[in-house]
Amino acid sequence: MHIPDGFLDPLTAGVCYIVAVIFIVYSLYRTRASINPEIASMASILAAGIFAAQMLNWPLPGGTSLHMVGGALAGILLGPWLGGLVIFIVLLIQCLVFGDGGITALGANVLNMAIVDVLVGYLIYRAIAGKGGRSHRWLASFLGGWLGIALAGIVCGLEIGYSPSFPYGVAVTVPVMGLWHLVLGVIEGLITAFIVDYISIRSPSLILGGVLRDEPTLQV
Amino acid sequence: MSLLSKYRRALLAIAVLLVVSPLFGVIGADLVGYHEPLDVAAEALGLSESPLWSGFLPDYTVPGLSEDWLSMSMGYIIAGVIGVLIILAIGFIIIRISGK
Repeated sequence: MHIPDGFLDPLTAGVCYIVAVIFIVYSLYRTRASINPEIASMASILAAGIFAAQMLNWPLPGGTSLHMVGGALAGILLGPWLGGLVIFIVLLIQCLVFGDGGITALGANVLNMAIVDVLVGYLIYRAIAGKGGRSHRWLASFLGGWLGIALAGIVCGLEIGYSPSFPYGVAVTVPVMGLWHLVLGVIEGLITAFIVDYISIRSPSLILGGVLRDEPTLQV
Repeated sequence: MSLLSKYRRALLAIAVLLVVSPLFGVIGADLVGYHEPLDVAAEALGLSESPLWSGFLPDYTVPGLSEDWLSMSMGYIIAGVIGVLIILAIGFIIIRISGK
């Protein structure tokens, strides 16, 4: 889902940059008070893990494939602000060091993967996991991972489809991006659910964004 | 370092991901002709890439390595290790700052 240079209308790219900068600044403000070495360690490990996981393209024979994004996972584990910053760091390194995602499209990529995917995953998880048990958490993280990437795909479709010179582009790009991500995103949902389930069994204190250990400073 | 011992299992998992990554990112991707929904949408619209900056290790390759699958796979792993180390280095700085 990493948009390269050349796909975006300059206006779209600019608006996305502004949204991304506002989100990053606000997230830094929101996490400043609660960050400590313990939380920063978790965030670092998660960022490294998501970066590595994104290198594994799922090779689905005969067609369109995808790789893990991990935004919903970051939102569930760390909350929307720190989770968003984790994905932002991953996207920044991918863009600057590996040319994965265009430098003019960084704002849009942050919007899709560090904001939409993270927030949707987090909100769905919060809404469904509630005070429920393991099965609730499993379903909540599955739906968060699945719908998070699907919505991120739709927003990505809006961005690349919108251009003043080609106003009907979104009628092509949104269905393509939405449907493909809805289908392939099931895998992201399963991986997200598996990891959240594993962590919540082994070390529930690591789930900051969820309901297991509420940190007021990390809530929306 | 406490990060290394506390998250030994997670770091091990990351190492495993990096070691197997060429199976998915290089060999598997080549076998099935990897393309993403974004590529499908861009093609439908006639959009084309015009890279302004390709990075120091463009597309997770190491410049200078030959293009056979073994070198590409090694390059992919090296690129992955470098990416992980850069992210952990940024993390260490933030951990240090947040402890003060």
